[in-house]
Amino acid sequence: MAVFPQLATGASTHYPAVKTRRSRTLVNTMADGRSIKLADAGADTAAWQLTYAELADSEKATLEDFFARMEGSLQSFTFLDPAGNLLSWSEKLDEPVWEKGPLIATAGGQRDPLGTMRASTVRNTAGGAQSVQQTLEAPANYVYAFSLYARAAAPVEVALFRGTDRQQAAVATDWSRLVLPGQSTAAGDSLAFGLELPAGCAVDVFGLQVEAQPAPSRYQRTEEQGGVYEARFQNDLLRFTTEGPQRHACVIQIIHANHI
Amino acid sequence: MATFPKLKTGAILQYPAARGLRFANQVVRFLDGTEQRFRTAAAARRRWEVRLDFLDESEMAEIDLFFQENQGVFGTFSFTDPWDGTEYPNCSLEAGELRMEAVAEMRGRTSLMVRENVN
Repeated sequence: MAVFPQLATGASTHYPAVKTRRSRTLVNTMADGRSIKLADAGADTAAWQLTYAELADSEKATLEDFFARMEGSLQSFTFLDPAGNLLSWSEKLDEPVWEKGPLIATAGGQRDPLGTMRASTVRNTAGGAQSVQQTLEAPANYVYAFSLYARAAAPVEVALFRGTDRQQAAVATDWSRLVLPGQSTAAGDSLAFGLELPAGCAVDVFGLQVEAQPAPSRYQRTEEQGGVYEARFQNDLLRFTTEGPQRHACVIQIIHANHI
Repeated sequence: MATFPKLKTGAILQYPAARGLRFANQVVRFLDGTEQRFRTAAAARRRWEVRLDFLDESEMAEIDLFFQENQGVFGTFSFTDPWDGTEYPNCSLEAGELRMEAVAEMRGRTSLMVRENVN
């Protein structure tokens, strides 16, 4: 499937960016003010308004080419939420979306760096290195920032990975944020992000996050819906304003709806 | 019971904040000018306007999740009135739309209307 392009910087959009969620509920309001409600979950939509400014010629051409290839609102494409955590169930490592090595055990409800009890302990009881990972249906060669908070009872070194790219990271006894930023050299329509623990190691983790941008922002909790959407352009017109050489601007509207 | 999310500071809303109280009465006017009034609802209904600015990405994500979990106006949740600390256990969002604007890094902006349901 086609994927909405990133800018030359690796960012997906500029500020301001607007995200709008719409939800449909049928409401029958009685004369006395009481109401009977019926949710229509299938009608939920998410829409983004992306405002671009100071685009270079090459970035303008990329967006124009992509819009032409999608034939406006006709074709659907993969859209990575520019203001969201792409992972699903960021705090529930026992969900099936997290693939774990056979001897990896996870336990939620641990104290986290925010002072709440939303962290998880990941324990590798195997004799060799094991990992916990989530695979995203997202292009392998985009720029991503994978981040998580970790601590351990004794200092230990773990590996963060993004597809085949790996980076060793030291986990201290206090919470620290580990970050694996950058662009993978691999190609493909999916990419796994995860954490590899050496044999016999236990680490508390919190705030696992993948963003389609060069550096991590504040942690954003997710549940079933991660930040990877099947979406379309909301309309059939793409209009650029050129304010000078290599200075183009436009506003793009994108919509995700299960029913279209 | 779901609860309306608090900001990192522990606050529920920011200034300017608005709170409303709505009664539902009906008036029958007669030809001679006299009136008869009666209640059409058992109690007053409260309404809060929650305008939020300068939110970081974590706080915006919590508001987004809260809206999704409630399916817009469908769900009910508990809301603590920030004026007097009274908890209203049966409240809903008033609109089926949530607009979240990322103005800059760590500067998100949104607003929600919360209303008390009639039991």
